[in-house]
Amino acid sequence: MISKVLVANRGEIALRIILACKEMGIRTVAVHSVTDSESLHVRYADEEVCIGPAASRQSYLNISSIVAAAEITGADALHPGYGFLAENAGFAEILGECNIRFIGPTPEAIRLMGDKAKARSTAVEAGVPVLPGSDGPVRTHAEALEVAQSIGFPIILKASAGGGGRGMRICMNADQLQSAWETARNEAERAFGVADVYIEKYLLAPRHIEFQVLGDHHGNIIHLGERDCSIQRRHQKMIEESPSPAMNEGLRKRMGDAAIQLCRHVNYTNAGTIEFLVEGDEFYFMEMNTRIQVEHPVTEAVTSVDLVKEQIRIANGEKLSVGQDVQLRGHAIEFRINAEDPVTFAPNPGKITAFHAPGGPGVRIDSAVYAGWVVPPHYDSLIAKLIVYGGDRAEALARGRRALELFTIEGVKTSIPLHLAILDDPRFQKGEFSTKFMDDFLKRK
Amino acid sequence: MAFLTFKEILELIDRVAERGISAVEVESAGMKVRVEGKRGEVAAARSVDLPSNAAPAPAPALQSPAAPAPAAPAAEEAESEEGLHVITSPIVGTFYRTPNPEAEPFVSVGSQISKGQVLCIVEAMKLMNEIEAEVEGVITRIYPQNGQPIEYGEKLFAVRLS
Repeated sequence: MISKVLVANRGEIALRIILACKEMGIRTVAVHSVTDSESLHVRYADEEVCIGPAASRQSYLNISSIVAAAEITGADALHPGYGFLAENAGFAEILGECNIRFIGPTPEAIRLMGDKAKARSTAVEAGVPVLPGSDGPVRTHAEALEVAQSIGFPIILKASAGGGGRGMRICMNADQLQSAWETARNEAERAFGVADVYIEKYLLAPRHIEFQVLGDHHGNIIHLGERDCSIQRRHQKMIEESPSPAMNEGLRKRMGDAAIQLCRHVNYTNAGTIEFLVEGDEFYFMEMNTRIQVEHPVTEAVTSVDLVKEQIRIANGEKLSVGQDVQLRGHAIEFRINAEDPVTFAPNPGKITAFHAPGGPGVRIDSAVYAGWVVPPHYDSLIAKLIVYGGDRAEALARGRRALELFTIEGVKTSIPLHLAILDDPRFQKGEFSTKFMDDFLKRK
Repeated sequence: MAFLTFKEILELIDRVAERGISAVEVESAGMKVRVEGKRGEVAAARSVDLPSNAAPAPAPALQSPAAPAPAAPAAEEAESEEGLHVITSPIVGTFYRTPNPEAEPFVSVGSQISKGQVLCIVEAMKLMNEIEAEVEGVITRIYPQNGQPIEYGEKLFAVRLS
């Protein structure tokens, strides 16, 4: 039985994990950088260990500091949260060797799904639809044209060694291919040292819909429905909701089954999320995240399942507390509140001089900030998550508006005004949006 | 049973200050009090602008240190740290004064140290990390007990520089 969990993270998710542990009577150890010494998650944990200076590399990413902290406090388990070391298979392995239980999937699953190429071919093996594409890099323009024509335009050229949106070129038709091909290869070479590019079908206006999964060590694997995360800017999610306004029972069944199929194929355990791109009635595997996600409260709201407690239970060797008959009830929306300029998106660290969170029915705030807290510049700008729940989408929207209007954060700029503007948008109100929404929305402003 | 009276809390504060204890926490009947002694250099390196304690209801937000609150460093008497250079730990681990259980300590109070000299070991993950002096001078104080768990930035030695 896990008796003491070291929380290897910071901010709101560290606090979230501590809350679950408190409910289960499990003691907690907070590790923190010098900058986070007065942080709320540090105050609420039973024990704390300073593991390094501000820089993440020397603190929250510092494996030896974190493992040493577990040793000196006698922690028998560790929860990595999201980001930082959450999907570092080597870290999970080291913990295993030190007899510290990693609250998450196996190192093998992390490694397999962390490699985009391997994850994609695993999905293919499992019979899960993937975006049509070339099998590996395309060597010549002639080959590129052949592949593009068999897939069908529009296509996107992507750097094999790349990521982060670089070394990518969209190509709408065969005429554009020659120059797109050359540009993509040049960029890839400059950015990643390798000119290789591969081709994928390009969806013009897909929705990003992900499925939450849970697997225990007794062979039970379930999905807990979807989250629509299409409201993104530069691949950063801003608003997530469940159920997806674009979902129907048939599609949910097909996608849910595919998610479970993939998990069974890799013997997945603990929590995970499978991301799909959806256009019309077609869905394609994009990637799998082998960790708890930022937007997990959305699923918690519509299923009444405490996902973090489930993670701990699974790590304890217990069976899932719910089955596939888990129901999605009502509608939940999460708004990510960042300390940033709502117009320029420039990060806005600084001292929070006033903080009052809204309450009332159907409102949940996940935050580790407080009046007097200095938001440091060293980490990401997320300072709070507002999750609203209602009987239907209309009620959730109304609650979202009401809660955002009454959410007082002073001293730093936040994305609250931007969320209110999005709520005013008729397309958003109707639930008619794709991953292109934010680009269009910002252009129109 | 009644919790500490106000008078008892004041006494507790005086004792903590007198004995150079870094922190004491008392919990009883659903109430907790934590008294912290004056912190030295490491705390100053943190935020100068200490946040106001906006403690959320119901109980004040409190923490226990990972290391047990060290009793006043035994024979090495508490001295004011003014004018002294404090060596802090660059890593997390367990503090050892000797290279092995049978050997003599690397240094003691009064030891003359030079740059590069090994002062102690901080053990983590079965690795014995030697902490070397970056200054020259005389050790006036050794903060942790032998075998004590220490965190990053924890005070190890006070040195009067030569």
